[in-house]
Amino acid sequence: MDYAIQLKALIRKELRQIFRDRELLFLLLFMPVMQITLYSFALSPEVEHLRLGVIDYSNSTTSRELIGNLVSNMVFDLKDAGANEDQLANKVKGGKLEAGMIIPPELQRHLKSGNATKVQIFLDGVDANTAGIAGGYISQILAAFNNKLQSGSQSPKSAVQPKVTYLYNSGLESRWFFVPGVLALVLNLVSTLVSSAAVVREKDTGTLEQLLMTPVSSFQILAAKVIPLSAVLMVNVLISLFVAVVFYGVPFRGNFFLFMAVSFLAIIVGISIGIALAAYSANQRQSLLTSFFINLPVIQLSGALSPIESMPQFWQDLSCLDPLRYYVTCVKAIMLKGVGFQAIWPNVVILAVFAIVFLSLSSARFRKQLA
Amino acid sequence: MKKILTQCKKELIQFRRDRLTVALAYFLPTLAIILYGFATRLEAKNIPVTVRNYDIGFYSREYIHTLFNNGQMVSVPWSGTKDTDPLDLGKARAVIIIPPDFSRDIRNNHSASVQVLVDATDVNNARVIKNSIIATSQYFLRSGAMEQQKNLIVPQVRLWFNPGRKESLSVAPGSIAVFLWIFPCLLSTLCISREKEQGTVLQLYASSITSFELMAGKALAYLLIGISQAIVLIGSSCILFQLSFVGNGLVFALATILFLASSVCFGLLGGSRTNSQSAAVQLVATTGFTTSLLLSGFLYPQRNILFPLSLLSNILPARYYVEACRNFFVRGSGFFDQFYILVALGLAALLIFNGARKVMSKMQLSS
Repeated sequence: MDYAIQLKALIRKELRQIFRDRELLFLLLFMPVMQITLYSFALSPEVEHLRLGVIDYSNSTTSRELIGNLVSNMVFDLKDAGANEDQLANKVKGGKLEAGMIIPPELQRHLKSGNATKVQIFLDGVDANTAGIAGGYISQILAAFNNKLQSGSQSPKSAVQPKVTYLYNSGLESRWFFVPGVLALVLNLVSTLVSSAAVVREKDTGTLEQLLMTPVSSFQILAAKVIPLSAVLMVNVLISLFVAVVFYGVPFRGNFFLFMAVSFLAIIVGISIGIALAAYSANQRQSLLTSFFINLPVIQLSGALSPIESMPQFWQDLSCLDPLRYYVTCVKAIMLKGVGFQAIWPNVVILAVFAIVFLSLSSARFRKQLA
Repeated sequence: MKKILTQCKKELIQFRRDRLTVALAYFLPTLAIILYGFATRLEAKNIPVTVRNYDIGFYSREYIHTLFNNGQMVSVPWSGTKDTDPLDLGKARAVIIIPPDFSRDIRNNHSASVQVLVDATDVNNARVIKNSIIATSQYFLRSGAMEQQKNLIVPQVRLWFNPGRKESLSVAPGSIAVFLWIFPCLLSTLCISREKEQGTVLQLYASSITSFELMAGKALAYLLIGISQAIVLIGSSCILFQLSFVGNGLVFALATILFLASSVCFGLLGGSRTNSQSAAVQLVATTGFTTSLLLSGFLYPQRNILFPLSLLSNILPARYYVEACRNFFVRGSGFFDQFYILVALGLAALLIFNGARKVMSKMQLSS
C-alpha cells in the first residue's frame, strides 16, 4: 500500500517537473514537427532538371529531334552551352552544367548511308548517385530513339517488355521514404535527451541525495522516472504521426495498435540509453557531449536516411547492433507496406530484447550509483 | 591588439586542460567521418531480387542469366504464397514474374512481357532497379540475336571527374564540410557559455576589454583550433578515402579559413544568446546538424530542395563549402569559377561575427 502511494507521489512530482520545464516541452512538441518538415522539404533524390549543354554541329532535323527527346521528360533542361567544345567543357568543370553532349556534323550523312554515328555525352560524376541514374536514362532514351529511327514512324517493337509496377509508393514520393525514418530518428533523439536530462538534473542540483534519504527505494525512483516519461513520449509519437499523415500525406496502412506497441519498445530503449548516459556522467554538459558519440552511429547505421543494404558488409554487420535499425524497419513496414505482426515479428522481438537488456543494465548502473 | 592575443592565449590554455573537450575536438570528427564516409551509400549494390519463372523454355533461362550477370542484383530463392510476399517480408526488393508463354512469344517474334514488382519504399533505389531491368531487357534483345539491327546513334557516355562512380568521392568531401561546420562551432559555443555559467563573464564586463576584443580573441583561438581540426580531418580522410588534391589550393585554403571563421562565430553567437551550456549545445548542435546535413546538398543535390527552404539553403555557409570541397578534391575547378564561394563565405563570416559582437556588447554595461 505504502509502496503504491510513494510511487504515485513520485510520479506526480516527475510529471510536474516535466510540464514546468518549458525547454523540455518545446523539445517534445516542436522537434518532431520541425524535423519532419525539414526532412520532407529538403531531401529529395529526384533526378530531374539536370542542366544539359549541347553543341550541335549537325544542326539537322534528326539532331534536333534527339535533343528534344532528351529534354522532353524533365530529366534534362537545355541550357546555354557556349560556342564550342572547350567552352562547354569549362562550364561542366566550373559546375555550371551537369551534362554536355556533342553531336558531330556527319550525323545526317551517316544516317543516309546507314553508318553508325558516335555522339559524345559527358556527365558530371561528382554526384555519383545522380550521374548513375542519369546515365541510365540517357541510354534508355537513345535506345528508344534508335528503335524509332529504324522502324520509321511505327511504334518501336522490342523482344522483352518489362512492365514495372512500383509497390507501396507508386508515385515515387521521396517524402514517403524519409518521413517514417525521421519519425523514428526524432523519437530516439528526444527520448534519449529527455531521460538523461531528467536524471542528470537531480544529480546536478543535488536533489538525488535528498531523495535517497527518504524511505523510497531506488527502484521506485527509477520507475517514477520511466513511467511518466514513456507516457509523455507516447504522446510525442502521436504528434509525429499526426504531422506525418495529415500534413505530409504519408499513408498509414498498417495496424495502429501494433505501431504504438512497437513505438513503446523503442521509447524504452531510448530512455534506457538516456539513463545510462546520465548514470555514467557527472553533469549535464558531460552527458550531452557524450550523447554525440552514441547518437551519431545510432542514427547513421539505422537506415533512416540511407539504405542499409548499400553499406559495405562490415557496416551492415555493425548495424545489427543498432536498436534504431529495427524500429525504422518496423515503422516503414507498418506505415507504407501495411503489413502485420507476422511479417515484422523478428524485428519486434529483437527490439524487445534490446529494451529489456538496456533497461536492466542502465537501471543496475543507476542503482549501483545510488547505493 | 594585445588584449585580443592575451584572450586568445587564455582560451587555448583552457582548451588544452579539458580532456573531454579535446577528445570531442579531434576524436569525434574522425570517428564521424569514418562512419559517414564508409557507411553513407545511396545507391544499392547487390539488390536482392527474386524471380518467379512460369516458363520452361530456353529464352527465360537465358533472360534470367542476363539479369544477374552484371552483378548489381543478386538472386534470392522464391518463398511465400503471394507474389508480393518477398517484398512484404523485406526479403527481396523486386519480384520478376516471367509468364508461361515467354519463350514461345520470343520464338514467334512477338514481344514477350515480363511483370516486375518493385519495392518503392526506397524511392532512389526503386529507380535504380527499374533502370537496370529495362537496360538488361534491351541488352537481352540485342545479344540474343533476335533482331540483328545496328544502332544508328551510338552514345559514348563519359563520366567526368569520377569515372568509376565511386560514391566515397562525393560523400567524403561533403562530410568534411558538414563536420567542419558542426565541431568547431560546438567548441566555441561551449567556451562562451562556460564563462557565462561560471560567472567569470561578469569579471570580463568589469574589465576594460571591449566586446569586440573579447569576441575577436575567442574567435581567433577557436579559429586556430578549427584549423588544426581541419588538418586532422582532411588528412585522415585523404588516407581513408584516397582523396587527392586536384583543385586550386589557394581557393580551398581561403575558403576553409573563412568557413571555419563563420562556424566559430556562429558558435559564439549561440553561446552568447543562451544562458546555460546545455541549452547552447542543444541550440548549436540541432541547428548546425540539421541545416548542414539537410540543406547543404551533401546527400542529395542542392537544387532539389523545395522552394521556401531553398532560400534558406542559399545563405548557409555549408552549402558553399560543400561545393568548394568537391571542387578541390574531385572536380578541379579553376580560381574564377569559384570566386562566388569566397565572396559568400567571407560575407557570412563577417555578418555572423558582427551579430555575436553585438549580442555581447548589449549585455555589457555602457560606460
